[in-house]
Amino acid sequence: MAGSGKLMAVMGGKDTMTGFLLGGIGVLNKHCQPNFLVMEKDTTISETEDTFQQFLNQDDISSILINQHALDALWHCIPAILEIPSKEYLCDAANVSIPHRARGMFMSENLH
Amino acid sequence: RNEGMDLRVELDFLLLQLLKDLEQLEAKRQALNAWVEEGWLSFSKARYAMGAKSVGPLQYASHMEPQVRVCTGEAQDGLQKFWMVRAALRRRKGLPRTPEPDSSPAPQNPLKWFGILVPHSLRQAQASFREGLQLAADMASLQSRISWGRSQLQELQEKLKQLKPRAP
Repeated sequence: MAGSGKLMAVMGGKDTMTGFLLGGIGVLNKHCQPNFLVMEKDTTISETEDTFQQFLNQDDISSILINQHALDALWHCIPAILEIPSKEYLCDAANVSIPHRARGMFMSENLH
Repeated sequence: RNEGMDLRVELDFLLLQLLKDLEQLEAKRQALNAWVEEGWLSFSKARYAMGAKSVGPLQYASHMEPQVRVCTGEAQDGLQKFWMVRAALRRRKGLPRTPEPDSSPAPQNPLKWFGILVPHSLRQAQASFREGLQLAADMASLQSRISWGRSQLQELQEKLKQLKPRAP
């Protein structure tokens, strides 16, 4: 696609969508998929999921603006990312992200 | 002991920076929400002037080229930074500013989708959402910093733990 920089995708209600498209981020042409989805009352969950997955897979999209209520329905689309060891680099059990976060950043024994 | 003290100083610095970044992110989020709400209000005014169904998806063009794009790069601290850039026509050096025959068409101002003469409220809506886009890019940069800051903080906390003498 001509021009430097990547695209910002948007998934949201009519007015939010119209607004950001007025802001100039929209793409719609025969060479590429649109980078936006207008979410209305009859927009199905599968359509929302498919569009979200499509945006995640597109190399030319660097960020996605999405209504919070839409994102709430999409967390299950974001795959679980599991850290596994490799032969060259041992897995550091203390730094595996989920248990690490669970320990909490501000637990008193972790502060001096 | 010195190593422990150095780690504590570094931890303090990181924690303060993280809290500042979180505060800044929250401020930008509130500002973005305010601009979006102002945009919605401007749309209501525009609809009052142009008709209830005159501002919406029915007016979207069948062909759109982006006027703005998101650039990403490394900031001075090595972290990922996002910023918005406006699309420009490509031109050869020394020649007048005209599009090359094979270049992409210049992106059209989306205001034109709504007619030749649009009310001031529609222009205001566009301005509001443009401000919102700049804030969105700033927020993406801050989210990247915060994510890095959290992982650094956790690393330092673990190092500090390992320095503490173990109970016999």
